[in-house]
Amino acid sequence: MSGKWLRRLAASVAIVSAPATAQAQEIKFWTLSFDNPKMAKAFETIIHDFEAKNPGVTVQLENRGTDEHKSALRVAGGSDQAPDIYFMWAGLGLGGEFIKSGLALPMDKYYAQYKWDDEFIAPALSFSKQYSGGRYGLPFTFRGEAVYYNKALFEKAGISAPPTSYDDFVAAAEKLAKAGVPAFTFGGTVNWHVMRLMDEILEVQCGPEKHDALMAMKVNWADEPCATKSFEEMHKWTSKYFLKPFMGIDNNQAFNLFLAGRAAMMLEGNWLVGQLRNANKLADYGLFPFPGASRLYGFGEYNYISTKSKNPDIAAKFLDYLESTPVQQANVDLFGGPANVNKNVKSTSTEPLDLAWTKIFGQFNDVFVNGDQAFPLDVTTEYFRVINEVASDRLDPKAAAGELQKFIAARK
Amino acid sequence: MKFWRSAQPQGLLLLAPALIVYGVFALYPMLNVVVLSFMRWNGLTADKVFVGLSNYAGILALDPVFWTAFRNTAIWTVLSIVFPPLVGFALALGLDQKIPWRTPLRALFYMPVIIAPIAVATMWRWMYDPFFGLFNAVLTSLGLQGVIQDWLGDGAVALYSVFVASVWQTAGFSMVLFLAGLQSVSKALVEASRIDGANAWQTFWHVRTPALRPTITIVLILSTINSLKAFDIVYGMTGGGPAQATQMLALWAFTQSMQLGDFGRGSAISVVLLLITLAIVIPYLQWALRREERVR
Amino acid sequence: MTALANPFRPAGSDRIDPVLVALWLVLIVVAALWIAPFLFIIFTSLKTNSTVMGASAFAPPTNPDWTNYAAAWTRGKFSTTVFNSAVITVVKVPLGLAISAMAAYVLSRIEFRGARAIFLLIVFGTMIPFQVLLAPLFTLVNGFGLINTKLGVILPYLAFGIPYQVFVLHGFFKELPRELSEAALIDGASHFSIFWRIFLPLSLPPLAALLILDFVATWNEFAMALVILQDNSTWTLPLGLMSFQSQFSRDYGQLNAAIVMTVLPATIVYMIFQRYFVSGLTAGAVKE
Repeated sequence: MSGKWLRRLAASVAIVSAPATAQAQEIKFWTLSFDNPKMAKAFETIIHDFEAKNPGVTVQLENRGTDEHKSALRVAGGSDQAPDIYFMWAGLGLGGEFIKSGLALPMDKYYAQYKWDDEFIAPALSFSKQYSGGRYGLPFTFRGEAVYYNKALFEKAGISAPPTSYDDFVAAAEKLAKAGVPAFTFGGTVNWHVMRLMDEILEVQCGPEKHDALMAMKVNWADEPCATKSFEEMHKWTSKYFLKPFMGIDNNQAFNLFLAGRAAMMLEGNWLVGQLRNANKLADYGLFPFPGASRLYGFGEYNYISTKSKNPDIAAKFLDYLESTPVQQANVDLFGGPANVNKNVKSTSTEPLDLAWTKIFGQFNDVFVNGDQAFPLDVTTEYFRVINEVASDRLDPKAAAGELQKFIAARK
Repeated sequence: MKFWRSAQPQGLLLLAPALIVYGVFALYPMLNVVVLSFMRWNGLTADKVFVGLSNYAGILALDPVFWTAFRNTAIWTVLSIVFPPLVGFALALGLDQKIPWRTPLRALFYMPVIIAPIAVATMWRWMYDPFFGLFNAVLTSLGLQGVIQDWLGDGAVALYSVFVASVWQTAGFSMVLFLAGLQSVSKALVEASRIDGANAWQTFWHVRTPALRPTITIVLILSTINSLKAFDIVYGMTGGGPAQATQMLALWAFTQSMQLGDFGRGSAISVVLLLITLAIVIPYLQWALRREERVR
Repeated sequence: MTALANPFRPAGSDRIDPVLVALWLVLIVVAALWIAPFLFIIFTSLKTNSTVMGASAFAPPTNPDWTNYAAAWTRGKFSTTVFNSAVITVVKVPLGLAISAMAAYVLSRIEFRGARAIFLLIVFGTMIPFQVLLAPLFTLVNGFGLINTKLGVILPYLAFGIPYQVFVLHGFFKELPRELSEAALIDGASHFSIFWRIFLPLSLPPLAALLILDFVATWNEFAMALVILQDNSTWTLPLGLMSFQSQFSRDYGQLNAAIVMTVLPATIVYMIFQRYFVSGLTAGAVKE
């Protein structure tokens, strides 16, 4: 008994005296919660190894759900309790907002020091170059979004090959409907889920240039027939081809229903491969890019160093370690598989869905980002509202573009 | 100078902690919210710009959600004044009778009151789940598929779905107050009226109800105040959705300030809600004070 | 339980009243409805995802899956959130009652200019929905550098607890006989000792009632904690549950286990101290 007690005492003395030998430095890293338990495990190992290589440094990981993470960061920005490193989507509307508000630290120095420009793939790096004040953030992943489909349900509806044009796509949905299968499942409570379909339809109907101009609010939504047409198309999908009800469930619930074969398709990112793998359902699903869109729908996920960090050098060192070739190669299936941001990392997967992603990434030269990453926050909120109003039959799709424009015009 | 001899400094010392904490953390924010409502401020940077009434103009004329939130708050308040007290009153009347299991039944009906509103929200959100929730399962098994709704996803019913959860949580509160009121009605008075030949209904209407008047007033006032505080349950069940159809003033003020980073507009919404509260509450305060004077 | 001696018999009658029997049956049915949500949550908390998605929603679990509780406990970081909630409650509730009682004593027993105005100012606070003030509260707490600290929530909790407690205790103190303090004052006792030796012991019943009410209010508070406690190592139980809901809503059994674990502590306290809840509620509202 007393021996154990003594040992414990000795251990606690050791803990107390440890900081005297090495300067204790803590790096707080705020990121999203991992939908894959293997990811949590991988981060545990990475942090453990980094701490072993850098005595006295501890890295503390904090995970949150998507919307919580965004609002926690907003609050952190105004307080002195910000993390050292934070995860954020790299688009102007999300990552850019925090850069504008001064939460992100310019990282030019570290880009030079660690030669990051030689290490990452170009499309992933591009997001760090879109600001005049310097280079912000370091690529974490590069995400593409495409249509996953249930092979058995496609077969049941008599669809032999994935559709390649938008009209084919609508025809396929119609075939599914005839076979009694809802084409898509979406979760409406998280507004950004249903929004994905709207984004894709805008890309198809308006084309890249006009779509970009709309998202930049440089052209009038109400004057662009393609915008109104997009809302009408959107309404066609929500009213005829969605698994219902969808406004009262979230994306997680939608995924459960997709796994249960209640709907044929989901518009999801390459992260879904990991989730399908965990559910042991990889073989049942196929993949194709959204038919008719000439650019890849996707976005960069970045890790930013915060201006409030007391140890930005160590934060940069950790990020460099996290993105280093050996670490990324060891966890390649978790960090994007074929879409890994480190150009030296090779995917070894022979899994058909991974190969399909490799093909999709090779097939497109250009990327357009999700609406909530392109718009500023307040416009995003209104964009969500208008889409949801149309999706739940409470707003005439013909009036939707005008409604959105009214809000944009009234902004300060 | 009697002032410094004994009572005053001691009193000051005893009073100070409460007064300071209350002043700094309750009164000051209330004044500050008024100041902020005239500013443009994102809550992050140091620069606040005075913009006059433009935040008010913004919410009243340009904000597509403000009036929805306003209407919902009004509907919610009216419903909260009517239904939970009615249910509570009915329960109290029943549980005031000589029936078995009276005490455990009272305890049961009161139980939801002590549960965290956010837990109530999470519970009910799950019960309302359109695919695997309790409600639609029960309706299906009763053969009432036609009645099935997307309880929280349909903008036309979502507010009422949230409200039903709120009735479940708050009716017990009114019940307890009414029970106390009923028990305070003099037994002798009731007895006397019975002997005078009044039937049960007449006794109820002419003897008990008038005696309950103060209780009724208090229940109504407390229900009003509590309804203006509705935040947790809406936040937890719908977050104001779908398409802002269940948005409320308190939650919209929070969203504007804390999530969209527009502290000016958020504060302006808060001020509107504060003014509404005061308009309801000040008459009550006067009434309560008059009553207290009378008791004295 | 006294009523059980002659159930269903109205006062002054020894015959069973059929109307009362019918009423009782209705109440039993309503009670079953009232308790159904609890049962549904408990049932679901013991099911696996495939059972939830496959079998009837209100069927009791055939082979209970207790692992949901352990999994939800770890994933929801319940050890942290329960601890934080407990510390905040244990500090806030007695402290709040102490300063409220002191203030109520002064306002009811010491006459000075402005006493009335101060009392009104404090009672005014019972009417203010603090949910309206979340943003300025955040700004204020942040100004003190207290974001993500327990003190940062305890101070506003104290501020918004004071009005009702002062109101109730003020009413109680007023009704105690004047001679009580006057005699002691003549004997040379200070107000501190009168408050401590005479008033505090006498006011134990209302204090107990307020204690229990304040425990529940503090334990359950969500909105203020939401803006002040951003760091998940500082989260309280309600924040933890909300986060669980947004992150792990796919795992139905675990979600419901998390709900049960969140609700349980307050329910147990309620069962033990039931009597005081009622007296606490009615103390301020209906004093007859």
